[in-house]
Amino acid sequence: MNIIVLVKQVPDTTDVKLDPKTGNLIREGIESIINPDDRHALEAAINLKEAAGGKVTVLSMGPPQAIDAISEAMGMGADRGILLSDRAFAGADTWATSFTLGKAIEKIGKYDLIFCGRQAIDGDTAQIGPQVGDYLHMSQVSYVYEIEKVNRKSIVVKRRLEDGFEKVRAAMPALLTVIGELNVPRYSHVGRLIDACKEKAPIEVWNAADIGVQTSEVGLEGSLTHVIKTFAPKFQREGEMLEGDTKESVKSLVGKLKENRLI
Amino acid sequence: MLRSDIEKLHRTIMARFVDEEVIPVARELDEQGEFPFYLFRKLADMGILGIRYPKKVGGSNGSTTLYCIAMEELARGFLSLAATTAMQCLMATNGLYLYGTKKMHEEYLRPALSGEKIGAFQLTEPEAGSDLGAVRTSATKVKDGWVINGMKTWSTSGPYGHFHTVLCQTDPAKKLKGLMFVLIPSDTPGFSHSKKFDTLGTRTSSLSEIYFNNCHVPDEYMLGELGRGLNVLLTILAEIRIMTACLAIGLHRAAMDDSIKYCKERVQFGKPIGKYQLIQAKIANMAVNLEAGRLMAYKVTHLIDKKIACLNEASMAKYFTVESACSACDQATRIFGAYGYSMEYAVQRYYRDNRFLLYGGGTHEVLQTTIARQFGI
Repeated sequence: MNIIVLVKQVPDTTDVKLDPKTGNLIREGIESIINPDDRHALEAAINLKEAAGGKVTVLSMGPPQAIDAISEAMGMGADRGILLSDRAFAGADTWATSFTLGKAIEKIGKYDLIFCGRQAIDGDTAQIGPQVGDYLHMSQVSYVYEIEKVNRKSIVVKRRLEDGFEKVRAAMPALLTVIGELNVPRYSHVGRLIDACKEKAPIEVWNAADIGVQTSEVGLEGSLTHVIKTFAPKFQREGEMLEGDTKESVKSLVGKLKENRLI
Repeated sequence: MLRSDIEKLHRTIMARFVDEEVIPVARELDEQGEFPFYLFRKLADMGILGIRYPKKVGGSNGSTTLYCIAMEELARGFLSLAATTAMQCLMATNGLYLYGTKKMHEEYLRPALSGEKIGAFQLTEPEAGSDLGAVRTSATKVKDGWVINGMKTWSTSGPYGHFHTVLCQTDPAKKLKGLMFVLIPSDTPGFSHSKKFDTLGTRTSSLSEIYFNNCHVPDEYMLGELGRGLNVLLTILAEIRIMTACLAIGLHRAAMDDSIKYCKERVQFGKPIGKYQLIQAKIANMAVNLEAGRLMAYKVTHLIDKKIACLNEASMAKYFTVESACSACDQATRIFGAYGYSMEYAVQRYYRDNRFLLYGGGTHEVLQTTIARQFGI
């Protein structure tokens, strides 16, 4: 079974600060990590490979330092890594990113499954997986939290809904976006990590020409949306409404004040 | 060609493991005093236990530098776990790797690197600590092997160890030249151990006495040549000392990190105590010593990786980093004031655990002597 996993390198915090003047993310002092949901996608792919055989290819788009995300994924058990890195890819919106990833997947060629994390902690859009699936005209299931059965023709999974779940059979090849409930990701094995950092490691870096796209089709230029302004929302104090009649409300209020040692 | 920096990436991943899996349970583990086998297995799954060994015996093919980075990060989370892991990676298994047969590798080394078996390293005796010529545990040649009699003390993993690398004396008259190492599995008839010692720190590292009463082992369990036990030890002495230095750096960082966080939070006389110059001086000293220790220690690990002799440099690094860590832990408890005396905060554990580092890899009194000797004194 040939599996492709899409991963993104993100800042290791959900509390991203913005430079008020430029609107850019302040990255100084913040480590970069594999997006948490993508780690679950990697774990799922590696589990399937270990159970059924095959090959896991990890694909990422980002600046050169995103090579660390690829290396770590190889350390977890991926067999091949591809980093899409080109100044032309910079500033891409979700559509231009999905298009670029889609073109790279077409170049990779044969695949049975594509795994993605539900969403990235920096952008929170949850759009990349579904848009890549749409571009490639393949069946897709989002919010997957359990994989029941896989064979050459189809995959049966459960997807999380707000009030329950849905059991879905999807024809292969299929794209799945997964959530944290699916598994517990492993840590990298240091031996595999060492191999992934060697020159002969099966890691490639592809630019726009490598995947056969014009620079006008990707990055900021190829984006359908443009950011006009970026700002951090002002922190608002959280209020709490106390329910019930006056007596109950006062009792509840006093209780809370005592609980917080305010009286 | 674009590739990741293995040392940086390995450190990042180890740090995440420690932050997520070790630090949240360190206090509970210390209180219970039981060895966390489940964490040991996780480290094995990450290839850490076999980090120094080649893949053909189940290892990860890593360098001394990568090994020391892993130990430093583990020590930042919980020195007790780091100390036992360091032992498994190096002293408990190195002789077995170098001198063991293929069968012994399959039976003991491979399971040790995968976390299924625990190894121990036995040097110290009641009358023989720094003075290894005084070792009395005897190895007597018999027709089909060796018979071992005697006892060892301060045996890390003594009660849990599945096999022990034991320094024995084959001829008391020869003193250091009569020493040799043998492998003694704990299921050998005549092997026994005492109860676990009650210790001040590193409370999950199970220390005990172990006893050999006519323990018979076959010839191939002799690790290295007859009478060359000291040389076997010397081949890894620089690595033992620098590993200990990196454990100290990890503990130093823990004490410093906690101190920085606390001095920003603790308000006295209307401002955080970190705004007072005497607290700043303590933090500054910690930072300077940490930086100097890192430079010393990782210079040595890279020398070892290049197979350049560096026992003196390793001794100096061990001495400096451990003394620095002891000072940092002491100063941390002072920054915490009375809270540093409370079991609620981790700084008391750092303060207790740091004593362990003073003895392993050579006492500082002995180290200072050997450092001075290089100047012909």
